[in-house]
Amino acid sequence: MSLVAFNTQQLAPVDAQRYLQILERSLRSARLNNSFPDRRRLSGTVKALQRAFEHEIYDQLYLDSRVGLPNMASFTRVVTDQEMAADSLSRMSDRAELERRRDEAPVFARMADKHDYYSWLVDQELAPVDLHRVLLRRHDPSSGSASFRIELTKLDGSGLYMHLTIELTQVASAWRRKVVDLDQDGESAAANEAFRTLIYRCAALDAESLFIRLHGIEGVTVERVARGVIGPLLFRLPTAAGGVATTIEPEGHLGRLWQHWLAGDGASASGPEVLATFASDVAAGDIREEKSNDPLGPLLSSVIEDKERRRYEAMRERYPFKVFKDRKFVATRGLKGLVKVLGDAAGTRNLVYDLRLPRG
Amino acid sequence: MSADGKIGLDILSRQVAYSGEGISVKSLEAEIHQERTVQDNKVGELKELRERNVEIAGAMTEELKKLRKFSDYLDGTATKDGFWAGFKEIMSFIPGLRSLAISQRSIEELLKQQYQVSARRVKEAAEYVDHLKQSEQDLYKEIDRINVKIVEMAKNEQVALDYVLELRELETELKAQEQALTAGSVEARDIQAQIDKVFARLSEHSSNVQLYGSAEERYVSLKANTRKLLETIRNLGQDIQQYTTAASIKLDMASAQIQAIGRAADASVVMLEMKRSLDVMTESMNVTTQFVSDTQVFFRSNLDTLMDELDTFDETTTKVLDENLAKSREIEEQRIQAAIDKAMRKSESGGAPAPEATPGT
Repeated sequence: MSLVAFNTQQLAPVDAQRYLQILERSLRSARLNNSFPDRRRLSGTVKALQRAFEHEIYDQLYLDSRVGLPNMASFTRVVTDQEMAADSLSRMSDRAELERRRDEAPVFARMADKHDYYSWLVDQELAPVDLHRVLLRRHDPSSGSASFRIELTKLDGSGLYMHLTIELTQVASAWRRKVVDLDQDGESAAANEAFRTLIYRCAALDAESLFIRLHGIEGVTVERVARGVIGPLLFRLPTAAGGVATTIEPEGHLGRLWQHWLAGDGASASGPEVLATFASDVAAGDIREEKSNDPLGPLLSSVIEDKERRRYEAMRERYPFKVFKDRKFVATRGLKGLVKVLGDAAGTRNLVYDLRLPRG
Repeated sequence: MSADGKIGLDILSRQVAYSGEGISVKSLEAEIHQERTVQDNKVGELKELRERNVEIAGAMTEELKKLRKFSDYLDGTATKDGFWAGFKEIMSFIPGLRSLAISQRSIEELLKQQYQVSARRVKEAAEYVDHLKQSEQDLYKEIDRINVKIVEMAKNEQVALDYVLELRELETELKAQEQALTAGSVEARDIQAQIDKVFARLSEHSSNVQLYGSAEERYVSLKANTRKLLETIRNLGQDIQQYTTAASIKLDMASAQIQAIGRAADASVVMLEMKRSLDVMTESMNVTTQFVSDTQVFFRSNLDTLMDELDTFDETTTKVLDENLAKSREIEEQRIQAAIDKAMRKSESGGAPAPEATPGT
């Protein structure tokens, strides 16, 4: 198995179906809360891709080779299919007519399948490639202050799928540019483009860095920054052709451990083996103890260079908040040992949900 | 004549077995019209595709303009001051750079949105393929149906011809016998009565020869046009498939690169890479737009010609049908004239049987 394009690997339809089944089970097993991307919508995308392969709409599934998740092309495929579904259905022949002519020529079987796929897809909720939302929490016209929750779901350039929640209060002033604009009736809000762009660009930063970055904006008080990140999902999957498909380019410490496992215990594994990680990261004023329970994400304070430490500490004194990082895992039996190695080395105790997969 | 020297008059009472329903100028016209309706529907579908093609082409041209403008800024060709002026312009799109105008948009987000639009446009064009393949199958079926008709008409024409030849032979024999008899005798009158019957049958079945013959020809022309329409549709479908598959593969392969470059552009300024990334997307859109544009030429040169030919075919059909009607009228008039001639001759001879002039001869 090799890369087919930059950071891109592909799975053939039968293997893709197996992979999608594993992804769906991993998502379900992870018990994600609302700090993560909406699992229902992500499951919608996974199911849509499954349907697409069942109906032979696509010949391959593209994955990000660094994180083992469907890449932008795969996310976009079903989103654009859904955009076109209603219009395409209106142009197609009646379903019964297509069925009647199914054996007449391959095109009728294909159109009947596409008809089924589009009919199912048209009402589904799918995971967005990107989605911004601004929700008004409180508005006090007398003081000119308003509190908002800003949410961003993003298929990040790193290949990870993340959800970012920022709770902030803005105090309006005649001479100050507001980051969030309320409409005249004070009921709906929208972040201005510059602020929206700032959040979008900084989504890959951890909650602590993002908190500091946003808190520095005049007139804005940040109360909470929370991130939930899906991935990487590292897999070793026996293929229908008799080979083995794996996540090809996993990065960082986890990537090195994974390669080591593949060369060792993984080499003798017979069935599919999967390790999926789900990181959460919160910076807020109401956190009691600053701590990282993420073996792959230490606190900034523990890794900052000495020459930067004074400046960093001064900044933290200015902004009263604490950070909590965590990571939970979903793993097949053969990979639980790897999670333990990770946790022991970092001194963390992580939730590991069991992933049981039917063999074959 | 039979072996015993008697003339075989049983030919006259024989039921001639034509396959299918009986034929008349009207029924033939109705059937041809029915087959033409199928062609018209397919041409209608092509017209609809052409309209949709124009819509997609318009949208793609707009999107390409945006991509090109963006790309031109990156290589400095958009401004007369070259790269650095272009660089400054494009910097105005990029957020977070204090010394220059701050952008309101993230390059990564913008590229992802554009990717989605490009992917959708390529799919919209690709959707044609299945519709065209379905039309192609419908037309193959239509050709099968026309072929059945052609064979049926050819067989019927042959049956009619064989019968007409037999009747002609009988007529010749009867006329020869008549020559040997005394004019006006009972035997001669009886033979004349048989000749009249032969003529009536000849008239009926020679008309069938003509109708089945021209029906066969018209179905053959109809088949040629249907085949032409089918080939147009098949070529169009193959071209679309080729173009959209290429464009779609380009987009699939470039997705990670586009995302990475957008991200890098947001973080810093990776001009050259960003231009390459945009160029891939532009290229993909360009391939599809070029195709959509070529298709319009294709539609213009083929569809219009095809429709002209079909119209000409209609004219030809109508002309043939008119000619047939005219011929039928001519024969009928000859018959009437022959009857009048006979009546006149009888009147001049004072009621005695006048020598008969065979109508239409």
